[in-house]
Amino acid sequence: MNALTYLPVELNMDPLGAIFAVLTLIIFIGSGVFGIDYMKDTKHKKGYYIFYFLAFGSELMLCAASNMITFYLFYELLTLLSVPLVIHDRTKEAKMAALKYLFYSMFGAYGALFGIYNVAKYADTLRFIPGGSIPDQAWSSDGRILLITAMAFIVGFGVKAGMWPMHGWLPSAHPVAPSPASSVLSACIVKAGVLGIIRSLWYVMGTDHLKDTSVQSAFMILALITVLMGSALAYAEPVLKKRLAYSTISQLSYILFGLAVAISDRSAMEGAILHVYAHGFIKAALFLTAGAIIHHTGVTKVEDMRGIGLKMPFTMTCYTIVSLGLIGIPPTGGFASKWYLAIAALKSDIPVFGYLGPVILLISALLTAGYLLRLSVIAFFPGAEYRQAHPDIKKAEPGLLMTIPIATFALLSVLIGLFPDALIGLIRMIFV
Amino acid sequence: MAIAFCLDNFRLIYAGIATFMWIVSIILSAEYMQHYERKVRYYFFTALTYVGTIGVLLSADFYTLFIFFEIMSLASYAWVAFDERKESLRAAETYLAVSVIGGLVMLMGIFLLYDVMTDMEVMTDTLRFDRLRYLYDTLRLTGDEKAAREVWAAGICMLIGFGAKAGAFPIHIWLPKAHPVAPAPASALLSGMLTKTGILGILMLSRYVFTPVFSGYSYWPILIMIIGVITMALGAILALFSVNIKRTLACSSVSQIGFILTGIGISDIAMDDIALSGSLLHMVGHSVFKLILFSVAGVIFMNIHELDLNKIRGFGRRKPLLAAIFGMGALGIAGIPGFNGYVSKTLIHEGIVKLKQMLAFTESEGGQALLSFDMINAVEWIFLISGGCTLAYMLKIYMCVFIEKNVDSDLQESYDERKHYMSLPVAAALTISALIPPVLGLSAPKSMNGIVTLCADALKINISSEYVLHNYFTWECLKGGLTSVAIGIIIYVGIIRTGMMNDDKSEYKDYWPKWMDLENVIYRPIIQYAIPFVLTVVCRFLDKLIDGSVYKLRKTLFKDDKEQEELAEGNRLTYMLGVAAGKINRTRRKMLKARGKKVGPPVNYVHKYAMDYERYRESRTVIFRSMSFGLMLFCLGLVTVVAYILVTRWWH
Repeated sequence: MNALTYLPVELNMDPLGAIFAVLTLIIFIGSGVFGIDYMKDTKHKKGYYIFYFLAFGSELMLCAASNMITFYLFYELLTLLSVPLVIHDRTKEAKMAALKYLFYSMFGAYGALFGIYNVAKYADTLRFIPGGSIPDQAWSSDGRILLITAMAFIVGFGVKAGMWPMHGWLPSAHPVAPSPASSVLSACIVKAGVLGIIRSLWYVMGTDHLKDTSVQSAFMILALITVLMGSALAYAEPVLKKRLAYSTISQLSYILFGLAVAISDRSAMEGAILHVYAHGFIKAALFLTAGAIIHHTGVTKVEDMRGIGLKMPFTMTCYTIVSLGLIGIPPTGGFASKWYLAIAALKSDIPVFGYLGPVILLISALLTAGYLLRLSVIAFFPGAEYRQAHPDIKKAEPGLLMTIPIATFALLSVLIGLFPDALIGLIRMIFV
Repeated sequence: MAIAFCLDNFRLIYAGIATFMWIVSIILSAEYMQHYERKVRYYFFTALTYVGTIGVLLSADFYTLFIFFEIMSLASYAWVAFDERKESLRAAETYLAVSVIGGLVMLMGIFLLYDVMTDMEVMTDTLRFDRLRYLYDTLRLTGDEKAAREVWAAGICMLIGFGAKAGAFPIHIWLPKAHPVAPAPASALLSGMLTKTGILGILMLSRYVFTPVFSGYSYWPILIMIIGVITMALGAILALFSVNIKRTLACSSVSQIGFILTGIGISDIAMDDIALSGSLLHMVGHSVFKLILFSVAGVIFMNIHELDLNKIRGFGRRKPLLAAIFGMGALGIAGIPGFNGYVSKTLIHEGIVKLKQMLAFTESEGGQALLSFDMINAVEWIFLISGGCTLAYMLKIYMCVFIEKNVDSDLQESYDERKHYMSLPVAAALTISALIPPVLGLSAPKSMNGIVTLCADALKINISSEYVLHNYFTWECLKGGLTSVAIGIIIYVGIIRTGMMNDDKSEYKDYWPKWMDLENVIYRPIIQYAIPFVLTVVCRFLDKLIDGSVYKLRKTLFKDDKEQEELAEGNRLTYMLGVAAGKINRTRRKMLKARGKKVGPPVNYVHKYAMDYERYRESRTVIFRSMSFGLMLFCLGLVTVVAYILVTRWWH
């Protein structure tokens, strides 16, 4: 009798799933409202809406999945249904990016599938049970195979979360999608990878035997490389949306680093999941702002956006607030999550990485300041010469359907920093 | 972690000073900003910075302090960038970078400190200042070396963060750039208040985390003292060179911060709080001086929109009120007896002298100490000379603006005719501010000793010892102050009047040492160019690792198969050779053409080689079929047989 004899599709919304589902709801609805105005005059509107809602649905189902088979099913569906969002513009670049997205995601999903086959050999069931369902004797007899399995899950689901070295699809696919779609891709759909790793390691395999293994170190090294690489490349990137995509790579690996630490010390989970929320709201707001700028002025490069803060002061104020949040300036959401992440890393007593981790997080935060605040600065302080050359700049805020979602996300990102306790309490309850 | 405030006498006094400064600054702003656009932005960020500053001053733990510190740092960015000229934006960029880097480094220190405290199972109010008292020495005395090292690292990180805001060497770079470009009311606050929040942080570190249990046991106060001494001397020297009134004042701030840090360091080395009370009073005093001096600079600027000493020369003539206001600030900051600057500097000086006596005693007994008598003696001289420099550069400004006449007599006339150079509220606010230094200075034994007594609890000043003097006009006290004054006059007459003006004394020469600019020489090349370049190269490689491999594989191993086409002539080898030769030939022709040489018509090498191959095949057929070829093969066989026989024979 094998765990793969039956392949039941089961749904059950547990608290962890609910945490991710709530984020999905907020991000998809907010970006969707933004999309009404943004997509008004574009072609292929019908296709966009259909796949937007299908992706929405499959991500919700993914959160509610209560066994690995169901999770895998909706994970693949999510990939397939979000490809049309990327391909939406029908340009050659969009088509190539969509194919790249598809192939990379497939590769990752097959890595996870390989993991599922392996686990099924040892586990009684693939249902999500806190602490996993692999018996101890399996770990003692076939420990190495199970470690490889764990690595397959990490790398496989890590593709979706943009972990190095399989992050290449992200900076290609996210910027070419229409802005509301890139917002949900970056803020929400990539988090499916995070949920995948949590589900597979904490709910199927059990993390007790992964503590202090090479898998944990490898996970941590990959995450830290990605953190640094993403920020450095974002810093060097002139196109705003691409810059934000690289930023997503970096920020997602903050979360993955948190997960890697959480293998040793559960308290890192607080920071990781807090950052899922903080990054979700912030990145959604950032991509929507980029969308608003593109929709109104058509410029894509940061250096061409000089003085944009005089035209859209409200939008750019929201941008600045969430930027400060992503850097981790108190009292915004990014600060709270970074605080919990770094403290947990230091307290975990993992040699070298316990100290190196927070240092790299802070270096990356510095680079984040470099690539995000640059736009705020030239937007609001364009320089005396610019003001002379453009003496009568009129305010041209985007419509309410655009500004309200952006402002809401900005507000939420601050609120999550001011009142993280409710979420933290919930996470503590889940991962005792 | 939760936000925690406390309000003791020290914090109450400082919050009061901050509020007073903001009020004066806003009164001045109302007039100063009249002709500027974007006033709303200015006032909004002024208010936000006030919130941040008060939060820092009232914080009861490092966590709260950090949060408000960041708010304050970022909000004050808008001041520096306010007028959006090129140099303002550049200075603002520096300011922002220093703030963000300093903030993040400080955050790392707070992480480490929190880690140590929670390892010691302090779970609530973890970073409260009073919980951290004696932390470092306790850890060392109990033998917990690892935790002690962690606390030391935390201390260094936080020192960098606070030092950056305070303007301590080597992160003082932003001060001489940011202060001159900010609006004057904002410069007064930047210099008078925001630097003090950095000092507050260093005070909290020194008085709580690193409070020594025994004297002469820890390197921390020595580090603070060394930084203080370098900052003090450097700021004073830079201020002498400057010919921009606001830049002089900014450099003066750097120097005065150095005085304060020196006092903090000395008192912890000697375990005697007399120098600390001096530092505390100098903090208070410096806030007031800089408020006065920058406001006067602001009044000058809003009248004639110039800051260069050569341009504003003579502006203050026949303006007794302005001269008196500026004079009070200048005399105070220079430490002239009778003003509060004299009292605070004297106290720091007393601390140095006491430490010197202590070390002399230790050395005569043959004891060991971390510092030698000579070092402290040098510190004392640097202290006195820097004090002299303070007087010299203040004299330079005062003489230039209020006594001397402008070279351009028309301009001087227009200056003299200006009677309404500031409004009544501004004049009133500045007069009240200007009264503070002499009033405090003359009632020192009561008022200034009172401040120290009030703050004793918050800063853990030991008031049981003979901590302050009751008479500041004894010969012992006056000696130091008068030495300093004498040095100052010598520097002014000997260096500034003779060396820094041209021969007919008509112009102050700009000797501002550009090459000494640490920012342009070290920080910017490294942080702006070198590190990002290396990082980008490495990260590009990492980024393209998989993408690049996939691309290469598609170009090589997994290349789409082309249909094998029939060649019209020749075979594959001749075709490939022909294509290669053609390419080489094309390049050669291009190069020849580029050199202007004549080239013949292009040759079709594919065809040529194919023809050669045809000819070769034909002649091969002819050869293979000929008689002589048969004979040749026969001979070859014969030779082989003979050779074989010979070899086998020889073998046996």
